[in-house]
Amino acid sequence: MNAAIAAKELTKVYAEGKVEVTAVSSVDLQLNEGEVIGLLGPSGSGKTTLLSMMGCILKPTGGSLKIYGSEITEMDEGTLPAIRKKYISFIFQGFNLFPALTAYENVMLILKLKGIERSIADRKTQGLLSEVGLSQRMHFLPRDLSGGQKQRVAIARALAADSPIILADEPTGNLDFTNGRKVMEILKALAGEQKRCVIVSTHDNRIEDIFDRILIMEDGKIIKEKGRLS
Amino acid sequence: MFSVALRIISYDKVRSFITLLGVIFAVSLIFAQMGIYLGLMETSSIIIDSTPGDIWITSKNCKNFDFSQPLPEYLYYHVLSTEGVQWAEKLIVTWGIIKQKEGGTEQVEVVGYNPDNGIGGPWAMKVGDMREVKNGNFAIVDESAMRRLGDIQVGEYREVLWKRLRIVGISEEVKSFTTAPIIFTSYKLAQKLDPNWIGPDKTTFVIAKLAPGYPVEAVMSNLREKLKGVDVYTKKAFSMKTRLYWTIETGVGFSFLLTILISFLIGMLIVGQTIYNSTVEHIKEFGTLKAMGATNFDIYKLIFSQAMINALLGYLVSLVITILSVKLYEATDMVMVISVWVNFLVLGLTLIMCISSALVSILKIKKIDPAILFRG
Repeated sequence: MNAAIAAKELTKVYAEGKVEVTAVSSVDLQLNEGEVIGLLGPSGSGKTTLLSMMGCILKPTGGSLKIYGSEITEMDEGTLPAIRKKYISFIFQGFNLFPALTAYENVMLILKLKGIERSIADRKTQGLLSEVGLSQRMHFLPRDLSGGQKQRVAIARALAADSPIILADEPTGNLDFTNGRKVMEILKALAGEQKRCVIVSTHDNRIEDIFDRILIMEDGKIIKEKGRLS
Repeated sequence: MFSVALRIISYDKVRSFITLLGVIFAVSLIFAQMGIYLGLMETSSIIIDSTPGDIWITSKNCKNFDFSQPLPEYLYYHVLSTEGVQWAEKLIVTWGIIKQKEGGTEQVEVVGYNPDNGIGGPWAMKVGDMREVKNGNFAIVDESAMRRLGDIQVGEYREVLWKRLRIVGISEEVKSFTTAPIIFTSYKLAQKLDPNWIGPDKTTFVIAKLAPGYPVEAVMSNLREKLKGVDVYTKKAFSMKTRLYWTIETGVGFSFLLTILISFLIGMLIVGQTIYNSTVEHIKEFGTLKAMGATNFDIYKLIFSQAMINALLGYLVSLVITILSVKLYEATDMVMVISVWVNFLVLGLTLIMCISSALVSILKIKKIDPAILFRG
């Protein structure tokens, strides 16, 4: 299996005035293509900080972080957007869809930004929305979609970017159990088929069985790892 | 990006409508102020611009067309005999009082021209002929004077500077910048009407036409050498001098400029605030695009497209309103000039207004930290 993300002694320390707070401390991990990994832990355990570093949004203060072999800690801030564009997509708890754009247009927008030719982008968008079960609702505005449907649009958008890594922050946080589970099953199936590396930060214990591996965090450290592939 | 911007604008109809109203208000005001200013300026020099000839000889330090000192009439012969002058003509502009039918009086501007060739006289007649002022106490009144002087018919008599003049024609297009009605008489009658100021041996202007092949600067130089105590201008320069006098000396230009500037700022504030609010509302969506690798420039295009759409829509509606209101202005005796270059200038100003108003939003976008997306 190819390592999508590899971290060694990964550390993030925030300086708050004269006080230093260690949000993530010496984390070692390797996340591979085709895996769906759960990042679990209580609030303040460092999940979001770790996810932000893996998403090249926050720069680590120590250790090593490699995305497909490229060392992130040595890059300047200006290089990180290019890494994100090439390797990383996001799914958020709040969906973050443009309310004025239909499901179809929200997905198309990412492809437009990537400079994909219109006819190809159109086919791809329709295909992805069909795969997430929204072929009948692709021309609906987000306000006319349920929470689960909105999150499925966000998944289609994340997949449209063709990024090998998908980072999902509490993707089921705004959904009821049934819808949350359905969304995760879709994400897992598509990620598996397309050999993506999916990392999901969540509080939701009820979807644990979806993950190939689970990393449990506490006080900035991975205190436990469990799962089929571990 | 333009289509996405259009969708964002059309989604929030109430806000977009208010923004559009703001742009229309500001742009219509800019159009109106510019149009009226240019109309006034055109009016202020309309007789100069409509009179044939290339060179105007005026009294020394003459500030404008309307307030010029008398010149000795013999200068006309000096001009006529100058090398490079094809023809020359005299023109009198003076001020007088006209008695109203019902007994009141009004100030009028009297223009005395040679009816044999019509130089300096009315160029568009509604009733009568401009030659009919010859050989008698005859006058032509411009139709724009009716508002001040009441309904005047050809054949009526009016007292100007205590002389009874018979109205022999009604001219068109000769509105006065000073709002005093313009009355045309023969050159000789104008001299007689105001014997103390003009008199039989004085004129106000001498107008000269260049002979073919003579450069204007050379002829003007000859005239300056030959004539002492006068100013010599090209027609264009004297027209501009008159326009600048009214623009600068009276503060008219400043007041129009100030109104245009205020309208511009109002428009900028309205559009700026709307786009900024919309940007703040969509900050997470923009952040998501940035997180997925969109550059700041990609998002700037979206913001600027919104500004451009507001500008173009607002401009088009304002243009229609302005075109429709030209007749309304004319009905109130005001001239509004909306030329092609004014259209382009206002379009440019509208685009600058809307695009610069988007700059605050651009700063906001520049500062978006994708990390906000993880903060709930």
